[in-house]
Amino acid sequence: MAGVSASSHPHPPPASGPQRDADVLVIGGGHAGIEAAAAAARLGARVVLVSFELDRIGEMSCNPAIGGLGKGQLVREIDALGGLMGVAADRTGIQFRMLGTGKGAAARAPRCQSDRHRYRETVTALLAAQEGVELVAGEALGLVLEEGAGGTAVAGVRLAGGRVLRAPATILTTGTFLRAVMHTGEQQARGGRIGERSSEGLAGDVARLELALGRLKTGTPPRLERGSIDYARLEEQAGDSCPRPFSYTTERRGFPRLPQVPCHLTWTNPTTHAIIRENVHLSPMYAGRIQGVGPRYCPSVEDKIVRFADRERHQVFLEPEGLESEVVYAGGVSTSLPARVQEAFVHTIEGLERARFLRHGYAVEYDFVQPSQLAPTLAVRAVPGLFLAGQINGTSGYEEAAGQGLIAGANAALWVLDREPFLLGRHEAFLGVMVDDLIVTNPSEPYRMFTSRAEYRLLLRSDNADRRLVGRGAALGLVPKERAEAVARKEETIAAVIATLDSIRPEPSRSLRDILRRPEVGLAQLEERYPALAAHGLDEELREAVEIEVKYAGYIERQAENVRRLERQERTEIPPELDYGGLVGLASEARERLERLRPRTLGAASRIAGVRPPDVALLAVHVERLRRQRARSE
Amino acid sequence: MDTICAVASAAGGGRRAVIRLSGPAAATIVAAACPGVELSARGLACVEFHDGVGTQPVLLLWMPAPRSYTGEDVAELHLLGSPPLVRAALGRLVALGARPARGGEFTRRAFENGRLDLTRAEGVAELIAARSREERRAATALLSGGLGGRVARLRDALVDLRALTEASLDFDEGATGEIPTGALAARARELMAAIEEARAWEARRVPASGLARVTLVGAPNAGKSSLFNALTGGGGGLPALVSPQGGTTRDVKSATWLAGGAEVELFDTAGEEPARGEAESLAQERRRRQVEGADLVLGVVDAVCPRRVAGADLLAWNKLDLPGAAPPPEGPPPVVGTSARTGLGLEELGAAVARALATRSSGLSRSLGARHLAALEAAGSRLETALAGLEAGETLDLFAEGLREVTDALDGISGLTTPEDLLDRIFAHFCLGK
Repeated sequence: MAGVSASSHPHPPPASGPQRDADVLVIGGGHAGIEAAAAAARLGARVVLVSFELDRIGEMSCNPAIGGLGKGQLVREIDALGGLMGVAADRTGIQFRMLGTGKGAAARAPRCQSDRHRYRETVTALLAAQEGVELVAGEALGLVLEEGAGGTAVAGVRLAGGRVLRAPATILTTGTFLRAVMHTGEQQARGGRIGERSSEGLAGDVARLELALGRLKTGTPPRLERGSIDYARLEEQAGDSCPRPFSYTTERRGFPRLPQVPCHLTWTNPTTHAIIRENVHLSPMYAGRIQGVGPRYCPSVEDKIVRFADRERHQVFLEPEGLESEVVYAGGVSTSLPARVQEAFVHTIEGLERARFLRHGYAVEYDFVQPSQLAPTLAVRAVPGLFLAGQINGTSGYEEAAGQGLIAGANAALWVLDREPFLLGRHEAFLGVMVDDLIVTNPSEPYRMFTSRAEYRLLLRSDNADRRLVGRGAALGLVPKERAEAVARKEETIAAVIATLDSIRPEPSRSLRDILRRPEVGLAQLEERYPALAAHGLDEELREAVEIEVKYAGYIERQAENVRRLERQERTEIPPELDYGGLVGLASEARERLERLRPRTLGAASRIAGVRPPDVALLAVHVERLRRQRARSE
Repeated sequence: MDTICAVASAAGGGRRAVIRLSGPAAATIVAAACPGVELSARGLACVEFHDGVGTQPVLLLWMPAPRSYTGEDVAELHLLGSPPLVRAALGRLVALGARPARGGEFTRRAFENGRLDLTRAEGVAELIAARSREERRAATALLSGGLGGRVARLRDALVDLRALTEASLDFDEGATGEIPTGALAARARELMAAIEEARAWEARRVPASGLARVTLVGAPNAGKSSLFNALTGGGGGLPALVSPQGGTTRDVKSATWLAGGAEVELFDTAGEEPARGEAESLAQERRRRQVEGADLVLGVVDAVCPRRVAGADLLAWNKLDLPGAAPPPEGPPPVVGTSARTGLGLEELGAAVARALATRSSGLSRSLGARHLAALEAAGSRLETALAGLEAGETLDLFAEGLREVTDALDGISGLTTPEDLLDRIFAHFCLGK
C-alpha cells in the first residue's frame, strides 16, 4: 500500500544506516521492556536491552502477584503470542487461584502469588536465553536525536560513560521516571535517578520532543516482617486445590513446581479509621502536595476512609513475597501518611499489633505521555524511531505493561524489517482493547484492564486466548508453528465432540447439545452416561471449551454479528491530514475532540465521547469523498 | 455479504411489480428459481419463475457486477402485480437464501460500492447534516414532552444495575462486598416495570396507524365537529355529535382524512375553555394530551365571532357562508377560509395541511415515535430474557451481556444510535438516485 495510512506504520521504513548497534533498542528492564525485547527478537530483530541494573530485570515493584480479574486474560494473550510472563509466573508461583469461577467463562481469570525473587531470576534467564537479545547494564543519559525529513527522529541512546548505541528503533519502557516524586508524609524525594534533575538527561530529551504530558500518582502499602505477624489470629486463604497454569505451554505434570503457601486476611476497625482520620491532613494527597490523579480502583487507605466513611472495616490482604522471604505485602492499605502514623494505624489491626515495618508505604507522582500521540503500533506518531510502552503511557499493572511491551516490540521489529504492522482489533484481544482505549481516550487515571472495557467480552475469554491468537502469532513468527498445529488439533476435537453431542438424541426433540445448554448440566455428567462422549478422552481444558461453546453459542453469535456489522467502520481509515475545520455540519464539540485526538478510523472516531453518530456519518461521507477525489486525480 | 431482495415497485396493486435481488448469491438463487436460465451476460429474458406453488411468467433483467445499480450482481424480476403472486415469489427467493432488504439497503450498497457519483455522495452529506440538525430538533422536542424524563430515569437505573453487575465481575468480593443475585434480580424487575410504563406512555402518544396526526382545536362552538364531519364523512362510524350549544364534544374522536392526497389521522377535541365539571376537566385533559402528541394543530375560528386560537400551525376561518362573517385575515399562521356546511375551501384546506406537514419535521417526529416504541419494546424483552436467564442459574457474565444489549436498545431513544443505524435510516427515508 502506498503512502502512510492507519493500517501501516506511521513512518516509512528506516533507511539502512551506516552503522547500527541493534535493530531495536529497549530502554528499561521492567515487564514492558522484557516482552518488547523478547518479541522483537522472536521476529528476527537484533535487540539490545539497556537496564540500570541487570539483576533487577523483571522486578515486581508493587505486589508480588501476576494475573487476576481482567489481567489474567492479558497474561494468557501474551502467552498465546509467545511472551514470557505466563511461563515465568507458572514456574515461580507459590499460590494459584482461578478467580471469578462462579461468574461465568468471561469473568474467569487466573491469578498467582509469585516468589518475587525467583520471578525476577526466571524471567531474566528466559530473556537471556532468547536468541538475538543482548543485555547491557547502563544508565541511559539521553536520546540521540537527528533532524530528518520526517522531523526530529530518535536514532539511539547515549549511556553514562559516553557509550552511544545506535538503532533505527528505540522503545522507552522507563515506567515512572518522568518527573517522579516520592511522598511519605511531609517527606518528598525525587524518584528516578539519584542526582539527576528532571530537566536533564533522558527526561530532558523527552521534554525536547514536546510531547503532551499528564500527571498521575500511584501508591504502595507498607511491607511487614513475617515473623512479627500473629498468623494464629488471621483468616487463612489457600490457593486452589487443583491449580491451573497461565501458560498453554506449561506441562501439567510437575505443576506447580514450588511448594504452595496461603495468604492471610485481616480487617481494619474503627480505631484504625480514627487514627487515619485524625492524621489525614498529613497525607500529601490531602495537604495538596500531590496533584497527580490516582486510580479509583486502588485507592489509598486514606481515600477509603474519607470517601466511604460508613464502612466499618476494610480488608487487608497479607501476601507473602516468597518462600524464604521475610517480607509480607500488606495489600489494601496503600498510604502516604507519615511513617509514625502508618505504624500507629497498622498496629491497631488484628494480628498486626506487633508488626515490624520493613518498608513504609509511599506514593509516587509522575508524568506520563498522553498516549493519544501514539499509533496503534505504539510508535510516537510525531517522532520516527521512538516507541513507548508501559507505565509511561499512563497504565498501571505488570500485565498491562507486558502486553504493551509485546505490541511495541513486535511492531518496532516489523517496522525496521519493512514488514506490515501487527495490530489487534477490539474484538480480537484485550490487548487490542487496551491499545485502542489508550490512543482513543487519554487515561485520566492510571489505566487498568477491566473485563467491562471489552464490549466483546464473551469472545475474549481467558480460556480461548490460544484459539484467538496462536495462529496469528505463528503466521507472524512470534510463536513456533507447532503451537499453531496443536491449536488446530484442539479445534478439531471440539468440533468432533459437538458433532457427537448433536448425534445423540435421548428424546426425539432434544439432542445432547440441547441438554448441555441448561445451566445446571455439565459435560462431565453426560460423559458418565454416554460412552461415545467419553471416548473423546477429554481433559479439563477441552471439556471447558466445549461447554462454553455450547452454553454461550447464542450470545457469541450475536457478538460476532456485531463485529461483522461494524467491520467496515473499523476498517475505514481517516486521512491523518484531514481538515475538520472545513467539515460543514459537524457539531463544535465533536470537531474540537476530533481535531485533538485525530482518530485513525471511523470506528475509533465513534468511540470518542462527545462525537455523536451524525458526526461520524458526516465524517464517513467526507472520507469517501476525499478517497474518490484522490482516486480521480491519480 | 448477504444477498438481499425486496419489492422495488410502488406498494399496492400496480399492473406490474418489480422485485430486485442483489448480492453475491443472486445468480445461484435466480438459477434455482428459473431452471434453464442463462445468466452469462447483461440482458433481458422471458423466463418461468417457480415460486414453490406454480410457475409465473417473469421478465428477467440481469445486471452482473459491477455494472449495476448496487455494484453487485443484480437481478430484476418484472412480474404480474398481484399481491399473492408477488408474496409467493419473494418467499421463494428468501427460501433460496436471500434476505429481505432493510429500507434503503440497495442505495446504501450502491454508495458503498462507489456506484453513486460524487454529486450524489455530496447530496448524501448534505442530507445527513440537515437531517441530523432536524433530528436533533425533533428529538429534543419529543424528549421534552415527558418521554425524555422517563428515559433518563430508566438509563439511570440501568447504569446503576450495570455498575453493580460489572463490579461483581471485575472485582473480588473482598473489595465490593457480596452482591447477591437476588438483589440484582429485584432491581432488574423494577427496571422492567419502569420500561413498561414508559412504553405504555409512548404508545398512547404514537398512533398505531403510523399516519400523521392533525388535531382540531378552537373555542367551543367554532365548528370543529362540523368541520370534522365534513372532512371525514363522519369518520365511517357515527358522525360527531353537533349542536348549536357549545361544549357538545367531550371525547376525542378520530378518523382518517385524505388531505391533499395524503392520508392523515384527524382528531376532534373538546373546545378550549375553563372546565366546569369533572367530566369536562377530563375532556380538557384529553384535549391537552391530544394537542401535545399532534403533528399538526389545526385551529378552527368562528368567522362570525373570531377568537384567538393559541398554538395552531394553521387556521381554518370557518362559517364563512354565514352573514356577518369577517374576511380571513393575513397569516401567519396560514389561514384558509372554509365553510363546513357548504364545503367551501375544504379542498384548499386539505392542500394547505399537506403542505404544512411536508415542510415540518412532524413526519420525522412520527417516525421517531415509532422508533422509540420499538426501542422500548426491544429493551423490555431483552431485559426479560436476561432476568429469566439469571433466575434459571445462568452465569453473571451472560446477565451483564443482556444488560449491555438493553443499554444499546435504550440508546436508540436518546439519539445515541450507532452511525451504522443512522446511515441505514437515512437511506431508508430518502430515495437517493435510482
